[in-house]
Amino acid sequence: MEIRDTLYRLVQALYSGVLNGSVYGLMAIGLTLIWGSLRMLNLAHGALYIAGAYIAYGVLGTLGLPVPVTFAVAVGGAALMGLVIQLALINPILEKPGRDSAALIATLAASIIVQSAILLLFGGQTKELPPVIDGGFKVGTTLISYQGLVVIGAAVVCLLVLTVFLRASRLGLAIRAISQDMDAAKLMGIPIVPAFVVVMVISAALAGLAGVLLGSILFFTPSGGFTPMLMAMVVTIFGGLGSVAGTIWAAYIIGLMESFVAVYVGPSWALPGIFLFIIAMLVIRPNGLFGLGEARRL
Amino acid sequence: MIGANAEAPRTGPAPARSAAAERGGLTRLRPAARPWTETSWLGVGVVSVAMLVLPWTLTLVNGGNYVTHLIITFFVWGIVAQCWNLIMGVSGIYSFGQLALFQVGAFTTGVLSFSVGLSPWVSIWAAPIAAVIAALVIGLPTLRLRGIYVVLLTLAFHELLRNWITTGPQWISGGGYGLARVPKLGFEYVMGPQYERVFYYYTGLVFFGVATYAIWRVLNSPIGLAFRALRDSEDYAISRGVDPFRFKLFLFAFSAFFTGLAGGFSAHYNGLASTSLFDFGVMINLLVMIVLGGWGTFAGPIFGTAILTFLTELLRAFDLYRILALGIAMAVIAVAAPEGLVPVLTRAFHSLFGVFFEDDEAPAP
Repeated sequence: MEIRDTLYRLVQALYSGVLNGSVYGLMAIGLTLIWGSLRMLNLAHGALYIAGAYIAYGVLGTLGLPVPVTFAVAVGGAALMGLVIQLALINPILEKPGRDSAALIATLAASIIVQSAILLLFGGQTKELPPVIDGGFKVGTTLISYQGLVVIGAAVVCLLVLTVFLRASRLGLAIRAISQDMDAAKLMGIPIVPAFVVVMVISAALAGLAGVLLGSILFFTPSGGFTPMLMAMVVTIFGGLGSVAGTIWAAYIIGLMESFVAVYVGPSWALPGIFLFIIAMLVIRPNGLFGLGEARRL
Repeated sequence: MIGANAEAPRTGPAPARSAAAERGGLTRLRPAARPWTETSWLGVGVVSVAMLVLPWTLTLVNGGNYVTHLIITFFVWGIVAQCWNLIMGVSGIYSFGQLALFQVGAFTTGVLSFSVGLSPWVSIWAAPIAAVIAALVIGLPTLRLRGIYVVLLTLAFHELLRNWITTGPQWISGGGYGLARVPKLGFEYVMGPQYERVFYYYTGLVFFGVATYAIWRVLNSPIGLAFRALRDSEDYAISRGVDPFRFKLFLFAFSAFFTGLAGGFSAHYNGLASTSLFDFGVMINLLVMIVLGGWGTFAGPIFGTAILTFLTELLRAFDLYRILALGIAMAVIAVAAPEGLVPVLTRAFHSLFGVFFEDDEAPAP
């Protein structure tokens, strides 16, 4: 009986850890891509995440499309918002002096605009989305929903496709070249600004996907993108800034660590535990777990 | 130092000024870098008399009490905005922990005076000290790191502190909303309750004045110059012998001192140490004050705080759209005028009316 209990808790911790890790992976890859190529911190990432969930909610409430179509529309909407942010706010300041602080302010402004617009449109109450596939099965005491498996599957497929895209396609090669040396890439005739736009759109779409997928598991509010973004930053840093493989590993490690702390120590210790861990790690290994330095990125 | 780029190179100081430079002593700063030696005592006198008389005038006006309250609020947030600007704008540390330091101050003095029972006049001095200690604890691990790490760790500190204070024991959290009955400073016994605000005004004025003067001196000192060098080119500044870690840690502790003091004063003035001040909206409000007025300039945050404090009250009816408007204002500033309103307005003023001034130079940031 005791062995069975221990096993059930382990299943619980592993399942929610992999689930968390998948969502963090989707979120953090976007931050990593932007950090790697544009060299800036996108503080609007959390807003894009929550925008994905709310677009799905709005489309479902007004148009009544089937759930998978709605989710595709929401991902497209988040990508479109990323495009608008890039064209309206980021591109104009790319060449200006004081770019770092201007980019920080611009992305924060974008996040404020998106969040307060959501608040005005939908109100502050908690919302939830229906799952793609209803139901689930039980492993001992742990309920494993089909939606959870969909989230994990979608995340793994997306991360694999993205890795192949970066390694094999011309555009992916261009993005990696830019992230290694922007000036050299420019001299080789790679169009920098269009590549930035592509990076931003991909990253926004992934954030929107994460929001849509998680929106059917957790409740969400207009400011609900903040904690996932913080966790995505933790993952990005833990994986070594700008390294895609490192980020994917880090996402699952952090996700598992969070759920193990939540199951074995207590849910209220999960977030503080992760933060204390990352502070300790930065003091010991400032370049991250897979820190590659500046030479090799993505 | 964005504003100074517009300034044409000067063709050497006037003879009288170079004599002053000879008397400069060990530091040997040029006169332009020592503005406090050329203070206009008339200007200082007029402003201080006006500031001293103002609250008494306001007690005579209908609704003046409320204006006094707004000015006191302006003092509090003005101190915090200036301190945060020192960190963010002047030295380029992307720290989002300033509001948390403010709350450290507020809750320290709140706990000591309300839960422990010390006199508020004693406990308020624990606020800046606790904030400095907290700043050192955050600063020691983070300030050796690069920008994104600082953003993450200071945000994490903010979240952790919010978490711990809201879920902490009753004598800190007050049940989750904060301490609702922090003792006030006892000014209602001086001349009766109707003049209470006047004395809060004076206390706030003293804190604001001291903080502003201290920040002004730091900005115009070799230390301030080192900060600007670090922000503009860290590698070059290091190669010229500036130790970034020591300077950043000093600045972090220095700004935490006044931020904590503002937090303590605010807690005693409002009789409240509230956990709702941890909200992201408060942080955004503060950041807009800095960005709107002028990121990295001296006058920018003061100007921005004044605009935001009084404009928010005038536009109470549109409160729902306030945050949206703040976001749009921030976006416009970031794209169109990243250095903020104060440098832009100063330049516009000088290009319009510059002919009337003999010495046409942009004020030092």
